Amino acid sequence: MIENIQLVGQNFSLHPSGAMLWEEKQMLLISDVHLGKISHFRKYGSAVPQNAIAENFECLTRVVDHFQPEKICFLGDLFHSSLNLEWDLFENWMQDISAEVMLVVGNHDIISALKYEAVGIKIVSELILENLLLTHHPEIRENYFNLCGHLHPGFKLNGAGKQQVKLRCFYKSGEQMILPAFGEFTGNYWISPNVGDQVFVITKKEVILVY
Amino acid sequence: MNRPQLIKLAESWFEKQDWKPFAFQKQTWKAYLQGKNGLLNAPTGSGKTYALWIPVVLEYIKNNPDYKTKHRQGLKAIWITPLRALSVEIEQAAGRFAEEMGTQLTVGIRTGDTSQKDRAAQKKKMPDLLITTPESLHLLLSSKDYDKTFENLNAIIVDEWHELLGTKRGVQVELGLSRLKTISKNLKIWGISATIGNLQEAREVLLGPGSGSYQNSELIRANLNKKIIVRSIIPEKMEKFPWRGHLGLHLIDEVVPIIRNSKTTLIFTNTRSQCELWFQKLMHKYPEFAGEVAMHHGSINKETRLWVEQAIRNESLKAVVCTSSLDLGVDFAPVETIIQIGGPKGVARFIQRAGRSGHQPGKESVIYFLPTHAIELIEASALQKAVKKTVVEDRIPYLLSFDVLVQYLTSLAVSNGFFPKDIYPEIKSTFCFQGITDEQWKWILNFITKGSQSLQAYDEYKKVEIEENGLFKVNDRGVAMRHRLQIGTIVSDAMLSVKYISGGYIGTIEEWFISKLSPGDAFTFAGKNLELARIKGMQVLVRASKKKNSKVPSWMGGRMGFSAQMSELLRAEMYEARESANSGGGKSRELFALQPIFERQQRESIIPGKDEFLIETFKTREGYHAIFYPFEGRFVHEALSSLLAYRISLLSPISFTLAFNDYGFELLSNQKIDMQQVLDNDLFSPKFLMDDLNNSLNATEMARRKFRDIAVIAGMVFTGFPNKLIKSKHLQANSQLLFSVFRDYEPENLLFLQAFRETFEHQLEEGRLRLALERISNQNIIWKACEKPTPFSFPIITDRLREKLSSEKLEDRIRRMLIQWEK
Repeated sequence: MIENIQLVGQNFSLHPSGAMLWEEKQMLLISDVHLGKISHFRKYGSAVPQNAIAENFECLTRVVDHFQPEKICFLGDLFHSSLNLEWDLFENWMQDISAEVMLVVGNHDIISALKYEAVGIKIVSELILENLLLTHHPEIRENYFNLCGHLHPGFKLNGAGKQQVKLRCFYKSGEQMILPAFGEFTGNYWISPNVGDQVFVITKKEVILVY
Repeated sequence: MNRPQLIKLAESWFEKQDWKPFAFQKQTWKAYLQGKNGLLNAPTGSGKTYALWIPVVLEYIKNNPDYKTKHRQGLKAIWITPLRALSVEIEQAAGRFAEEMGTQLTVGIRTGDTSQKDRAAQKKKMPDLLITTPESLHLLLSSKDYDKTFENLNAIIVDEWHELLGTKRGVQVELGLSRLKTISKNLKIWGISATIGNLQEAREVLLGPGSGSYQNSELIRANLNKKIIVRSIIPEKMEKFPWRGHLGLHLIDEVVPIIRNSKTTLIFTNTRSQCELWFQKLMHKYPEFAGEVAMHHGSINKETRLWVEQAIRNESLKAVVCTSSLDLGVDFAPVETIIQIGGPKGVARFIQRAGRSGHQPGKESVIYFLPTHAIELIEASALQKAVKKTVVEDRIPYLLSFDVLVQYLTSLAVSNGFFPKDIYPEIKSTFCFQGITDEQWKWILNFITKGSQSLQAYDEYKKVEIEENGLFKVNDRGVAMRHRLQIGTIVSDAMLSVKYISGGYIGTIEEWFISKLSPGDAFTFAGKNLELARIKGMQVLVRASKKKNSKVPSWMGGRMGFSAQMSELLRAEMYEARESANSGGGKSRELFALQPIFERQQRESIIPGKDEFLIETFKTREGYHAIFYPFEGRFVHEALSSLLAYRISLLSPISFTLAFNDYGFELLSNQKIDMQQVLDNDLFSPKFLMDDLNNSLNATEMARRKFRDIAVIAGMVFTGFPNKLIKSKHLQANSQLLFSVFRDYEPENLLFLQAFRETFEHQLEEGRLRLALERISNQNIIWKACEKPTPFSFPIITDRLREKLSSEKLEDRIRRMLIQWEK
C-alpha cells in the first residue's frame, strides 16, 4: 500500500493518506490539513456535520502511529482560518505526540505563532535540509529540490468508454514534489502533467503511479 | 357605491378605450368584489392584468369615496411575477388604469434589478401596488417591522402561477402567503395560470388545502379559443441532414425568409449558448440584419433586456433570438411569428410559446418548428397532434421542501423574530407542509438553532438564537447579511459579472465557464466577441476582441425532459413511422421527409413496433455500446439507465458511463456487456425497484446534484454574489464535498434525505418508471447486434453529458484504465 521512491538520492515513502515519510530524517511530511474548517463553517452559520471534525485527527493519529516518526513537518495550511474551539482538540492531540513538530507557514495559517509555540510547535517560513527546500507555496530555486503543498493536486484519469476517475495525488514535476491535501474537507486542483512528470494517485488503500 | 355601480365604472373605462370586457374579466371583478379568492385560468395576452387589477382599484374607490382628492397611503396590493421582464408591462397597464380613473394610486416595482436607493425609498413609503418576485417578497419578510408594511394589504395576485407551481419558488410563495394571511386583514389571494393538467390542484396549493381561503374561492376559466398553426422546417435534402450539431444552424437559410415575411419574429432556443450561437451566425451570414435583430436571455444585463423588450413593442426589430426569458407574460403585439429551435420538450411550453404571436383578437398564432437533428422531426409531427388535442401536462408541486422552510424561518428570525407556536400552524396549513410531523418540525428548529440535533462539545454553531422569552431571533449582523444575500431558490453556479476594462457592465456568467479560460482567450457573450483580460474578485474584466475562434459559454442546467404526455404521443408517432416506412410513404410531411433515415434504420436494425422493445449493441473506438429504446422521455431514461447499469454491475465487476435523451439510453463500457445474460436474468423486472433504485442512486450523481441546490437554499453553502463586495473568504465550500461529509457523518439529516426524496419524486418520476417497466415486460425484447451506430442511436451516443456507475474496486479500475492506456 505504500510506494517507496527516491528524490535527489533520498528515500521517501508515500502513504495513501497523502502524508510522506522522509526515511533518512525519519521526518513525516503532511500538507494542507485545514483543521478547524468545519468549526469555522459552523461558527458562521453553516451546519456542516460536527462529527466530521474527528476524522482529521483520527487520520493524523493513524499515519503517525504507522510511521512513528522522529519529526513531523506540516507544509502549511495546518489551520483553515482564525482560532476556534477545534484548536483545543488539536492541543489535546499534540499531548500524545512525542515527535518534534514544526510548521512551514502557509497562506491560511493566520493563528498567532505564539499559540503554536505554546504547544511546542516550531514555526518556520521555509526549511532547508540537505539539498531539499521545504515550503508551502511551490517554489523553484536553483540547486534545490522543492517539497511543498498549497496546490491540493488532483488528477483526472480517463479511460475507454468515456470513463473518468478523479483522485488526489502526489505530483512530481522537474525538481519539485507537490503533496496532496491531507484534510478531508478540502477541494482539489486538477493538474495536467507534462512529459517526464510523475503522478501518484491515492485511494483510501493504495498509492498508484499513473503517469 | 355598490358593486354594480363599481363595475359600471370599469365598463365605461373599457368603452372609452373602444374595448369590450371579456366574460372572464367581468366574472373575476365580481368574485373579487364579493371578497373571494380564486384562480384565473387565462393565457398570456388575454387581458388578465385588467381582470385582477381593476377590482383592486374598485375596492379602493369603494372604501375611499373621496379617492379623487385624497390619497390613503400604504401598500394595498402585491403582484407577484416569476420574471423581472414582466414587471414593466404590468406596471404600465396598472398605472394607466389607476390614473385614468382619477385615483392617486401609485405602482412600484421591486425586484433583484431595483437599485438600493429605490429600495430605501420604497421602504419609507410603499407604493399602493407593488410588483415583485417571490424572492423579493421574502426579502421584505426578512426586514424589520414587515408586519406594519403588510398590515393593510387587500390583495395578493400571483401571476403565471403555473410556472411557479412545480418549483421551489412555488413553495416560497406558499410560505409567504401563510404569513400574510395572518398579518394582513381582509386579504384576497388570486392566482393566474395558463392551462395545465392540474388546475384544481393548482388552486388548492395556492390557497392552502381545506383552508378558509380555499372554501371561499372560485376557479374562473377564460376559454378563449385561439388557433395555433404549427409548421415544420424541413431540409430539402435529407441525405445532407447532419446527425449531430444539435443546434440546427444548418437550417439558418430557411429561417431568413420567415423573418423577412413577418413583422416581428421571436426565435426561441432551448439554451443560452444556443441563443448566442444563433445570433452570432445570423449576424455573420446576414449582416444586413444588424440593428434589426437582437438577442435576449437571462444573463444579459438589465438595460439591454429592457431595451430589447421596448424595441419589440415599438416594432423596431425584425427578430429576437431568445430563450425562456421571453416565455412569459409580456404582450408583444407586433410579434407575428414564432420559431422554435429544437424540441420544446413539453406541450404546454410549446403552446405557450406559440401564443406569444398573433395577440390581436381573431388572429391565429403561427409557430415554426426547426429540428436540430433528424429524429426531432418525429417530435414535430407529435407536437402537431398535441396542439390539436390540447394535451397538457401537470405541474407537480413540491412536498416537504425542508430547505425552503429553513430559509424562510431564518428570514423571519432575521426580521422580527418568531415564536414557533405562532408559526407552526401557519406552516402546517400550506400544501407543501401539510404532512409535516411534530418530530420533523422540532428537527428543523434544532437545526437552525444548534446546527444539529444535540448540543455538542467544542461547538460554536451560530445562526438563530432562542431568546429568554422563547423568541427565535438572529442577532448576528454577519449572519443576517449573508442570509439576505442568499434568499431565493434558484441555484446557479457562482456568478461573476462581466465588465469592460474601460467600464461598462455586460452581464453575468457562471464561474465554471470562465475558470476554463486563460487571459487572452476570446469568448462570445451577449452577442459580442470578448477577450478575457483578467479576473478580479467577482468580476471578469474583458476587452473587445477581433479573434475569429471564440468559445461560446455553455450554461449548465436547462435540460428539460419529455413529459409523460409527450412521450406517449411520440411513441404513437414512432409506430406510425414504422407503418409508413413499410408502406413506402408517410402520412405527415415530417414522416415523409424522414423516409431515407427510416430506411437506413431498418437496414441496419429495426424500427420497433408497438409490442417490441429494441436493444442495439455495437462496438466503436470508444468502447462497447448498448442502446435501449423505451421512448419514455429523458427523466425516465435517466432512472432506467442507472437501474439497469446497477443490476448488470451486480453480475460482475464492471464500469459504465450512461447517456440518455428523450428516445432512449446508452450504457457504454470498456468491457463487453453480456446481453444474453441481461435478458436471461430478467433485469427489466419491476421487482425490488425501490431497493435497486436507491442503491443505484448512491452510485450515481443524481442525488448529489439535488443536494447541491438543497445545501445552498438551506444556507449551508455560501455562494457569494456578483456586484457585491462581500468577503466570503474561507466560507466557500464545494457542495460535492459537503454531500460526502453528510453521507459519512450525518446520513439521517432531513436535508440530506430530502435530496433522495426529490430525486425520486421530481427527477425519476417513480410512478412513470413503474409504468414503463410494466409496459416493457409485456413487449418482446428484440436485441440487434449491429455493425456500427444506427441512425436512431446517433443522437444518444454523441451526447457528452454522462452519468457514471461502477461496481469495480477503485484500485482495479485504475489498473484496468492504465493497461488500456498502454495498449
